[in-house]
Amino acid sequence: MYLVANIDVNICAATSCKLCTQYCPEANTILYDEEAGKEKGLKYGAAYVAVDRCKGCAQCVWVCDNMAKHHAIKMEMIDQIEQAALTENIQYKEKTTKAQLTKPVPA
Amino acid sequence: MSLDYMKFTPGFGKFMPKEYRDLVEHGPFGRKVSVSQVGTFKEILEEHPMCAGCAMTLFIRLAMISFPNPEDTITVGTAGCGRLAISQAAIPFVYGNYGDQNGVASGLSRGLRLRFGDRPKDVVVMAGDGGTADIGFAQTLHSWFRKEKFTTIMLDNEVYGNTGGQESGMTNKNQVLKMAPLGKKFEKMDMVGMAKVAGCAYVATVVPNNPRRVESVIKKAVLIAREIGPTYIQAYTSCNIEYAIPTDKVMEDAKNVENDRYRFSEYITDEAKQYLAEVYGYKEYLPKPAQALTKS
Repeated sequence: MYLVANIDVNICAATSCKLCTQYCPEANTILYDEEAGKEKGLKYGAAYVAVDRCKGCAQCVWVCDNMAKHHAIKMEMIDQIEQAALTENIQYKEKTTKAQLTKPVPA
Repeated sequence: MSLDYMKFTPGFGKFMPKEYRDLVEHGPFGRKVSVSQVGTFKEILEEHPMCAGCAMTLFIRLAMISFPNPEDTITVGTAGCGRLAISQAAIPFVYGNYGDQNGVASGLSRGLRLRFGDRPKDVVVMAGDGGTADIGFAQTLHSWFRKEKFTTIMLDNEVYGNTGGQESGMTNKNQVLKMAPLGKKFEKMDMVGMAKVAGCAYVATVVPNNPRRVESVIKKAVLIAREIGPTYIQAYTSCNIEYAIPTDKVMEDAKNVENDRYRFSEYITDEAKQYLAEVYGYKEYLPKPAQALTKS
C-alpha cells in the first residue's frame, strides 16, 4: 500500500484558499468542487484529490500547513481511506468539478 | 495548431478516452483560464513519469496553464527531465537533439510566420540548464543575437539530474554533487546578464513558489515574443533527488532559495512595455500622466 493525500472537507470548505490546487506538481490531481460541504452549511466548496493520480509527495500538506495554515490535508494509506475520487468518476462542469466518491481499493 | 485539431470527428466522440473528452469539452482551448481557476477545468498536461514532488513539474504545469493561446502554441525541448512532462501535454512538442532546441525553434518560428502571417503562433522553448547554458549555449545565444521571436525558458535545476548528478554551468560554486565530489570550481553562469547583452526584450528570474507570478511572467514573455523579440525566463526548479530535498520540503527550499540567491527579477525594454500596454492593455505599462507642477 502507499500514501496519498486526503483533504478534510470540513476544514477546506470553511476556508477555501485553493492553494493546494495551485501547488500540486501533478496536473488534474487536486480538483475543486464548488458545492462540497454546502449541505453541511459550510460557506465554500472544497478541494479533493484524484487519488489515482496522486504520487504522494505531500507538497500539498506543507502548503496547507505552512502557507495557508489550515491543516486540512493528511497523508493516508490508500486502503485506509473510505471514500475517495478516481479520475474515471470525476465530472467536469462549467466552473467546477464533481466527483462520485468510492472506496479507492476494493476491500 | 488550431482549435479544429482538438475536435472529434463527428460520431467518434463517444469512442474517445474520458481524458480526451474532458479536454475537448472542458479544457483551456479557445478560452481564457488562469492559475486562480485551476482545479475547475481540465488541464492540458497529462500524467507523466517525472519524480514525485518535482519542482520542475510544478513549473511546467503552471507554464502550460499560463500560455495565452495554448491551441496556437508549440513547445520545443531537448534531452533532460523536463521533456518527460512537456511531451505529455495536448499541444505539439518538438524534440530537438541535445542543445539544438533554439536552432529548431528559430526555423519553426520563422516558418510559422511565413505560413500563418499575422495570426499569432507561439513557439516556446523549455529546456534544462544543460540544454540551454552548456551544450546548447551557442545556439541559445545566437538565436538571441539574431532576435528570433520566441520564448526561451530555462528549467534551472542546477545539475544534470538525469545522468547521475554532474555539475552544470548553472551549478553554484563549491557545490558538491554525486559526480562532482570535490565541488564545482567556477561561478554559476550569468545567463540573465548574457540575455540582456544579447538583446532579449524581456528577461525574468522566477521560482515556482508563487504561481500567479509564474503566470504573469510566462504570459508577458510569450506575448512580447510575438512581435518584439526574444524573451528569456530562468526558473529555479530544484532537483529534489540530486539535492536530497524531501518531497514535502520542496516548496520550503524554493522559498529559502528565492529569499537567498534567486530573487524575482524582471527586465523589460521600453519597446516591449509600450507593446504590452497598447496591444494587450497592460495598465502597469501605460504612460504615467504628467505630474502636476507644484507651485514653489
